[in-house]
Amino acid sequence: MKISRRTFVKGAAAAGGAAVAGRVIPRGLETLVAAQRTTAPAVTEEWVPTTCWIGKQDCGMLARRINGRVVKLEGHPGNPLNRGTLCPKGVAQIIAVYDPHRVKAPLIRTNEKGIPGRWRQATWDEALDLVARRIREVRAKDPKLLVWQKGRSKGKAFYDEAFVKASGATKLHHGAFCSDAGYRACEYTVGMSGVLHPDFRHTRYLLAWGWNATNAGGNQLCWITWPQQLVAARERGLKVVVIDPRLRGAGPFADEWLPIRPGTDLALALALCHELIRQGTVDRDYLARYTNAPYLVAEDGFFLRVNGKEQVWDATQGTARPVDAPGVTPALEGAFTVGGRNVRTAFQVFREHVAQYTPEWAAEVCGVPAEAIRRVARELGEEARIGSSTVIDGVTLPYRPVAIMAYHVSQQELGFQAVRAMLMVMMLLGAVGAVGGQRVDVGGWSVHENFEKLDQIEIKDPPYNIYLKDSKYFPINSNNSAVVARVMLNPDKYGVKDRPEVLIVHMSNPLVAFASQPDLIESYKKFKFVAVIDPWLSETADYFADVVLPAATIEKYEGPSKASDQYVDGVALRLPAMKPLFQSRGDIDIYLDLCEKAGILYGKGGYLDHLNQALKLKAPYLLPLDRKPTVRSIFDRWARSEGISEGVAYFEKHGVKVKGPIPPEKAYGYATHPPFGGVRHRLYGEALLRYRQEMRQRGAAPLYWQDYTPLPTWRRPTMEESPARYDLYLISYKMIEFKQSRSSFIPLLAELAPKQRLDINPQAARQRGIRNGEEVWVESHNALTGETRRVRVPVHYTEAIRPDTVGLPHHYGLWSHPGVREQGPTANALYFTGEGYVANTADQSFHVKVRVYKGEER
Amino acid sequence: MARYAMVIDLDRCTGCRACMEACKVENNTPQAHFWMYVFRFEEGEYPNTRVWFMPRPCMHCDNAPCIKVCPVGARYKRPDGLVATDFDRCIGCRYCEVACPYGVNYFNWKKPERNHYIDWTDREAGAVLDPVTNGAVPPYKNPDLEKPYGPERRRIAGGGHLKGVIEKCTFCVHRVERGQQPACVANCPLYALHFGDLDDPGSRVSQLLRRRPHFRLLEEAGTQPRVYYLGGKPPGEESRQIEAVRARV
Repeated sequence: MKISRRTFVKGAAAAGGAAVAGRVIPRGLETLVAAQRTTAPAVTEEWVPTTCWIGKQDCGMLARRINGRVVKLEGHPGNPLNRGTLCPKGVAQIIAVYDPHRVKAPLIRTNEKGIPGRWRQATWDEALDLVARRIREVRAKDPKLLVWQKGRSKGKAFYDEAFVKASGATKLHHGAFCSDAGYRACEYTVGMSGVLHPDFRHTRYLLAWGWNATNAGGNQLCWITWPQQLVAARERGLKVVVIDPRLRGAGPFADEWLPIRPGTDLALALALCHELIRQGTVDRDYLARYTNAPYLVAEDGFFLRVNGKEQVWDATQGTARPVDAPGVTPALEGAFTVGGRNVRTAFQVFREHVAQYTPEWAAEVCGVPAEAIRRVARELGEEARIGSSTVIDGVTLPYRPVAIMAYHVSQQELGFQAVRAMLMVMMLLGAVGAVGGQRVDVGGWSVHENFEKLDQIEIKDPPYNIYLKDSKYFPINSNNSAVVARVMLNPDKYGVKDRPEVLIVHMSNPLVAFASQPDLIESYKKFKFVAVIDPWLSETADYFADVVLPAATIEKYEGPSKASDQYVDGVALRLPAMKPLFQSRGDIDIYLDLCEKAGILYGKGGYLDHLNQALKLKAPYLLPLDRKPTVRSIFDRWARSEGISEGVAYFEKHGVKVKGPIPPEKAYGYATHPPFGGVRHRLYGEALLRYRQEMRQRGAAPLYWQDYTPLPTWRRPTMEESPARYDLYLISYKMIEFKQSRSSFIPLLAELAPKQRLDINPQAARQRGIRNGEEVWVESHNALTGETRRVRVPVHYTEAIRPDTVGLPHHYGLWSHPGVREQGPTANALYFTGEGYVANTADQSFHVKVRVYKGEER
Repeated sequence: MARYAMVIDLDRCTGCRACMEACKVENNTPQAHFWMYVFRFEEGEYPNTRVWFMPRPCMHCDNAPCIKVCPVGARYKRPDGLVATDFDRCIGCRYCEVACPYGVNYFNWKKPERNHYIDWTDREAGAVLDPVTNGAVPPYKNPDLEKPYGPERRRIAGGGHLKGVIEKCTFCVHRVERGQQPACVANCPLYALHFGDLDDPGSRVSQLLRRRPHFRLLEEAGTQPRVYYLGGKPPGEESRQIEAVRARV
């Protein structure tokens, strides 16, 4: 009989009361207890490397496995992304792996769609046969009628590339809800695919522009990596100016807070450009040599071209010359006459254009004091140290330690031009590609194909495809699934002939994750067949899946995933620490079988053929095109192709391959050969003017072309046309506890933040007679259609937000998982999409005017 | 013999609460028990607002009120400084909970195996999970927590052991005795938490305390905490809690 405290106490009555409180008894008890525990069972403890499944960037993990049971997930010390640590989601995902409410077997729907699903379990064969048959049928009609919608892709080569190419499907992604307006702006302007982040190791002054540093990613990378660099930089004296309607995201890392009015970031950036030019803190050398600032612009707004070549004004020779003429010394400013035509340098045009954007003007628009704007501009000018240089790894480079961190702030109506203007602030300072300055792509300074593509778009005649590619509506087009929804509901309006029929949704929950929920729900009714690949029954699957294929979480091979923190490069794989639970299967396994059954696995042009290319496999490790490989063997071939002689066994042992430090020649625009990849940065966006004119010519409404301007130009966002009683701006944000719309049912995380809440300034709340914690209606208004939407949510007082602004986190609005009980609505039930609520690039806007009230009054 | 202490750098903390989760998974604490807790504070009025964060484990005080009031000697101070709770000896009187000015004691109102977030007795799931987990509740149950520790050979590690006893932060005694850091310290993505031996002048904690001004919570209470804070300042009347985690204790 095991002697416990209780059993001992039960028997101790006879031993006398005095003994109970004393220290005499324990010794005897311990001897007895110790004697019982002499034989310990043998324990096998293993640490299996893998990567995090729940987040964005696959942080390295080590799974602690005792006697075959995974008991904990810890950060992998060797992975540059997270260096031995995990965010709360990474730590908590272990309970999600073991969740009894995971989808246990393939499910086939037995009731109608558009309401919660009723299912019957099926074998994998039956479910895959069903999906494969529908794929075959629709491909026989037109492969473009097959739509593949991803959320987070954990294996681009396998899904986004090989499957999409082999099937010919129309690919939809999540970029329009993420940061793609910023990507388009940077790709077009400097040829880098990314948004904005600093060279953290050397930056001294940072504009944290809408950067939710304590909860969310920042440019391209996920949480952990950026805050680690931020905190290290702070210890070196980094000054941080926070530009955000809400302070909470910056936490204690704000030296100054400019509480900007939502939707006015473009205005502030233009005012900073104005001030930098006025104060003369402009890197003239960079502008003249590496941008199109000296190009001569004619009165029609287009570059002056002689024999097809752009011209500059040679200051020495006093004449116009081709831009690439030997020994040319281009003037940066000035107005000239060339061949009877009045021309100005692009920089002159810009200078005159921003003359109107004074700090006083911006103060009115943005709600930020003119004095603060002026001071920040002065500090930027001083901290940029224009003209200075420094040595990095033996390479002498310009030193401009000022930068912006910006990412999701791009997703607003004026987002494309706002990010262009922000980038132009850094261009004026010469900080782009300099040491301590502005970076765009974590992977390094290589010019993206979109630099040319976005400059040479040919607008086509209808019919257009489902996301209006190359259309007169969105020539530069980030591919927005919510716009797709609008188009599916009214294809004639947009010149679209064929509505897609079959939808495959992979690791995505569009009904909750994408704005706007009502449009998506309506459009999904139009799909004839929907297959969802997901470990859980997502809300999207619940309402619209015909078939649910249960994917595994960490119990699979997947990747390869980039493990680069902008300074050290590496690559990692997800490895299974256990067998897939229930009847779930690794996603790649699912695709291999699906492709086989759909007849697109083998042969030239098949899945395996495309995989060889997507994974960059080399002889003799190329996949033969006539037999189905195991997933592990594919990664073995990939590893060997990468020059890792141990193959996949290397990763099974180490988890991550650190390739080494990224050299300056790769990391700094100035250090590449030739500098900046040999392209001229586009201060002046001539192509944008060309698109504008062509869109007008083709009869597109002003709403579509009004923001296609060669230089960023302020206008009041469309949402401001809502009636005055919609007197608050709604913004939304991410929480560190959750990831997109696939996590707020996880009990360990939900415990930290079980319910949705509306951030509101106490002054604003009291004016409306609303107490802290009280439930209110939040009602949004579409300025163009007059439609209103509303949700009910409790308020949360905070002084860290503008009085004219309220904030809702994402992540909530789930209903499907049994562990979710009335957590509250998704912000995406309030946002609108389409005209007025997307950018000129089709990117989604997460701004809308709302009003907040108690009771039932409308 | 080491003299352990924890040092928390408020200039680095982002309030992510990963430490709360790492502690929870490592120590198998049941619902609503947060041995490591992170306060999120707001101060001031718009636009002069300040936001900051403060992790708060058990203080492992040198002059611990909880030890003095324990009627059965379940709560005791180890020579290395850790304040431990022998869960075999605890009678659940909750005097320590009353005495502690930091509020770090948690009473197990429910049977812990029925208080781990999910009904793990679900039969359909159990048929698949049990062979993998050996019926462990929770499935990530840490086998290190049942063992006795220290030369005193008492069972003092982890949580979720028995209904009717008090449990609290142990500075992860089961890890420390293996030469590892407490789970919260090891996991912190910002390296805001440090743990080590004050009697070793070369240890991280000793160096940090020598180089930077620091404070302890409720210094005036005379508890002599072993947890030191760098940067920031102690919370005061001006500090409002935001985003509190509701513990249903």
